Amino acid sequence: MEQQFNHPQRQSPIGVLVMFFETLQQWARGLWPVLVVYAFKFNELNKVYLFLGISVFLLIIVFVAYLKYLNFTFFLESENEEFVINEGILNKTKTIIQLNKIQQVDINQSLIQRLIGVYELNVDTAGSAKKEGKIKAISHPLALALKTRLLENDRKNQDTVMAEGFLQEEIIDPKPFIKISFLSLLKVGITSNYVKTLGLILAFLATIYENGKKFLPEDGFNKEEIGNYIDQSAVISSIVLVFFLTLSLILIINLVRVVFKYFDYQLTKQNGSLLLSFGLLSTKSTIVKPEKVQIVTLSRNYFQKKMNILEIKIKQATSSDKENNKSIIEIPGCDEKEKEAIFKLLFHSIPEKGFVLKPNYRKLVFSIVLFMLLPVIVFFTLANFIDATLFDYAFALPLYLLFVGLIVSFGYKNNRLYISDDFIIKQSGAWDIDNEIIEPGKIQAITTSQLFWHKKADIGSLIIHTAGGDVVFQLGNFTSIKQYVNLWLYRIETANNNWM
Amino acid sequence: MENFSNETIDTTELPKFEAVQFSVLSASYWKVIVINILMLFLVLGTGFSLLLFYNEEVKFFSVEISLLFVVLLLLTFIFSRISFKKKGFAFREHDVLFRSGMMATNTIIIPYNRIQHVALHEGFVSRYFGLAKIEIFTAGGSSSDLEVPGIAIEQAEKIKQLLMGKIQKQL
Repeated sequence: MEQQFNHPQRQSPIGVLVMFFETLQQWARGLWPVLVVYAFKFNELNKVYLFLGISVFLLIIVFVAYLKYLNFTFFLESENEEFVINEGILNKTKTIIQLNKIQQVDINQSLIQRLIGVYELNVDTAGSAKKEGKIKAISHPLALALKTRLLENDRKNQDTVMAEGFLQEEIIDPKPFIKISFLSLLKVGITSNYVKTLGLILAFLATIYENGKKFLPEDGFNKEEIGNYIDQSAVISSIVLVFFLTLSLILIINLVRVVFKYFDYQLTKQNGSLLLSFGLLSTKSTIVKPEKVQIVTLSRNYFQKKMNILEIKIKQATSSDKENNKSIIEIPGCDEKEKEAIFKLLFHSIPEKGFVLKPNYRKLVFSIVLFMLLPVIVFFTLANFIDATLFDYAFALPLYLLFVGLIVSFGYKNNRLYISDDFIIKQSGAWDIDNEIIEPGKIQAITTSQLFWHKKADIGSLIIHTAGGDVVFQLGNFTSIKQYVNLWLYRIETANNNWM
Repeated sequence: MENFSNETIDTTELPKFEAVQFSVLSASYWKVIVINILMLFLVLGTGFSLLLFYNEEVKFFSVEISLLFVVLLLLTFIFSRISFKKKGFAFREHDVLFRSGMMATNTIIIPYNRIQHVALHEGFVSRYFGLAKIEIFTAGGSSSDLEVPGIAIEQAEKIKQLLMGKIQKQL
């Protein structure tokens, strides 16, 4: 089955449908606050105009989708060994990818693509973390043929060992060695991301409120009437009610989010790399090459410890700072055994903790001054000199101090740097305890820092720069830090490790 | 494999980065800094004087504003001087060190086998004094990139050649 890719060609004709749904999704995402408002005022609207409007809207999208389809072409230029994608209706974009720069070609399928029966083909190069080339609708045989052609060049350049690996990739489909169970996902859902979800809910409510304010009649609520309803006991019970409502809402959203995002999470070994695939509606798959891994973070809080689950985050080498967040790969809900299996694949050994470096007590003092003493002083100054009504809220102060005090002291207690021959592990966090694991060979540069009044106390800070981000440890014993810096430099400079 | 050995390393015997003698920046680089500060404050000062000249209400505070301006200028000079004195660089056999900071002493160390590329930058004022800036880039992103300013152009060229040679050797 020899496919010709030498001439510019369009995607599968049925791909217009993919374009249509995608454009619809984009526009709906942009316009949803308006839609919500119209949904509320549904009865007041003139139905004829409404349906006319909707049909015109859909027609425009069909038209745009068709133009997008017409203007999207791709082909292989054999002379320069380049893969070329042309796209755009008004703003034309031409993406040229040199074949020997291609690192990876993924074939994915989202829900819509699955329904229509087409596939998506992503081309990834070493240049940046995002996918450079994306073909959204392509039939499966064509996708496979294109993938083979795109990687052919790569295969030519690789030494024989690697070439065999690439051939194997398409022939055998190894069984996943780890599957994250549904139960683990449920556990993850109820134990993580409380603050993040709360933030999302608040942002959601704020958007609705902002948009709704314009449309709701001004005199809908009578302020005096509301005033009469409020009395002391009602306030307390409503606070409790709101608290539990929010809590259950957070848990439900978390559960749904985790299940949708990570459903059927599978890890497969492939030529020494880790192949991840997950997702309920659209299945995502990524390859993690152990040599590209820079920082591995283990994250676990008290509940998760009791339930024997932990989360692993993997940071890979990226070329730009902005893309850093996107290239983090998360493996939720592993247990101890699965963790060890993943570590064996990534590091070829289990990281051990070794020598312990603790932060100086001044770090605790500094946090207390910054997060507890300073806010209290600001509060009393404001209340004394500017607005005396602030004193009514003074009852919240002990609560704040207790809460922040706990966070600060646990944060200090958990802050550690563990150094062994093959690993540097930084532990931090008050509730979610993170363990960032680096191999000394992945270090790009080291910064040490010492304030002049810390010279006598012999304390200072250490920043380890890697291609996946920095790891900072503050106010540790400076003599030990310097000694280890010298050791790491010696190791890096005598061995020529492959850090990527 | 026959040459392979794995002796225990005595960490106290390793070369110490903290004992390295740093070369200071060229003395004429201080002139560059002074000119840059003066140019900045000239622009600021013109803005302030225009404001004082045309705005009747602000005129009332003209003494305070002038005082503030002078204090700001003095502080900038003092801090720049301290940070200029502190800056130093050193090229060892296997890595480059750069020291900087005002209240803190920061030392960044980049091994040669982690350098991605090297660039030479000549600023407008610097060029007049025959100075250049060496920029060293690693894969660690902007936080671990290094800029050594205030080096005589010929010396900077030599350093660049040295670094390029070191990088080439690694490949």
